[in-house]
Amino acid sequence: MEGGSSSSTSGEPTTLLPLQNPNISSNSSAAIRRTRWPTIDGPLGLSEEDSVTYARRFYKFGFLLLPWLWAVNCFYFWPVLRNSNSFPTFRHVVGSAIGFSIVTILLSSWALTFSIGGERLFGPVWNKLVMYNVADELGLTSWM
Amino acid sequence: MERNERPPSIIDSLGEELIRIITPVSICMFLVVLLVSVLNSESSSSSDSIITIANLAYDENNSESFWDKFEGALLNSLVFVVIVTVVTFILVFLFYIRCTKFLHYYMGFSAFMVLGFMGGQIALMLVAKLNLPIDPITFMVVLFNFAIVGVLAVFMSKMAILVTQSYLVVIGVLVAYWFTMLPEWTTWVLLVAMALYDLAAVLLPVGPLRLLVELAMDRDEDIPALVYEARPVNVDESDVGGRRRMWRDRRGNRDEQESANNVVDLEMSTDQPPLSTVVGLESAEEGRMPNNDQDVSVPLLENRTSVEWDEQQQSVVSDDSMAFEGIGLGSSGAVKLGLGDFIFYSVLVGRAAMYDFMTVYACYLAIIAGLGITLMLLALYQKALPALPVSVMLGVLFYVLTRVLLEEFVMQCSVNLVMF
Repeated sequence: MEGGSSSSTSGEPTTLLPLQNPNISSNSSAAIRRTRWPTIDGPLGLSEEDSVTYARRFYKFGFLLLPWLWAVNCFYFWPVLRNSNSFPTFRHVVGSAIGFSIVTILLSSWALTFSIGGERLFGPVWNKLVMYNVADELGLTSWM
Repeated sequence: MERNERPPSIIDSLGEELIRIITPVSICMFLVVLLVSVLNSESSSSSDSIITIANLAYDENNSESFWDKFEGALLNSLVFVVIVTVVTFILVFLFYIRCTKFLHYYMGFSAFMVLGFMGGQIALMLVAKLNLPIDPITFMVVLFNFAIVGVLAVFMSKMAILVTQSYLVVIGVLVAYWFTMLPEWTTWVLLVAMALYDLAAVLLPVGPLRLLVELAMDRDEDIPALVYEARPVNVDESDVGGRRRMWRDRRGNRDEQESANNVVDLEMSTDQPPLSTVVGLESAEEGRMPNNDQDVSVPLLENRTSVEWDEQQQSVVSDDSMAFEGIGLGSSGAVKLGLGDFIFYSVLVGRAAMYDFMTVYACYLAIIAGLGITLMLLALYQKALPALPVSVMLGVLFYVLTRVLLEEFVMQCSVNLVMF
């Protein structure tokens, strides 16, 4: 930004430069203030350098069958998703969002098929697969 | 600028601080009451009650006389408190020899146990009760996700404050529901016994929780326990890095009298030298039967006693996870309340819900009043205070009074069409 402003004023007399500079510095400081807190917690959250590490770590861990971790990642770095242009280093958050939505669509389509289709679709196998019968059969609730 | 000149008083942010700690306690109690009323709607004559550490000594039977039940309950509670004390001392010892890594992993493991297994069982009971047509694959995936992210949020890494707080409340709900499955007399006597233990362990100079807090203060470390920390009201942006400093300044100014149980810290983060009194109520919840989650969250102090789950014998051995009970102030100026407090408050209200909703209202009001009194004492004495005694005593008193006096009155009024 500063390069652009100085080049635009290169043809001007040098007395104009000091007038231009405060605008530039105020713009950049405003931009810095706006983009200072990438987490949803604001000043209680992580700083920007730590955030990149955390975002990347959450993204990688989410591949262990953890779409909920991707969702929490998106929630935590919500300001990043909203102004993704001012946070160029956060592509992992966007990746997490895409991953979460894909997995959710797949999982919910399977779950809805199972629950709405029911016996008509699956036949008698449905009764053996549904969770409350499985729990009864295996005695899972009698641990307590 | 002029506002910074005026020394901040506690009144400025007291209401907000109170709300931020009362809301999660209320949510926890509400969820436990909900679970109890949904899952126990059939006659819960718990003849098949769980075998846990709290009824190792005596298994209650409905047909026995009053004194037999009372003696049995006393014996159970005694055993429980003794085991909790031993576990807390072991925790203090481990903390003293700097075995914090082991404690952290242990707490993470117990958190996973609670969220995974207990959460799974409660979810299965809900599914069976409500006849939800879920298939095993979805169920396992959802449960797995829930448990792993819970362990990460509470124990391992820094995550959104809302997520961490929600998982702490969920852990409190699960453990409290587990405790309500105890027989009735045992539950009530156990609550009173734990309140007395809390009082002793936090205020006596030889109490384990007090030793723990003093150790943590000396070394300027976080206590490895499960503690709920509310969001601080005034956040000073420039002071983010200086959180520890407040704690240290505070310590330097006053004697160490913080009992580990209830250390209520009220820090006021202002531009001026902080008045932060760190009062953290961390009650050691010892001898929790179900797996105590010991989540060590880095900004929070959480001690949870974890109970190992032995499936074959169907008995629960309480491990060394102390549930921290107590109110305190976190180093960032927020109110901290140990998860053990959440759990025992919710157990009280859940057990009251097993009788009638009238007792629930009475006990809820008593507990909140007790919590308010404890917070005021915290601000007054500015040291760690036990959060259990006042609330539990008031709650038990109100339960007995409601059941004996109020119910009769309300019933007679309704029957004679005077009220309702």
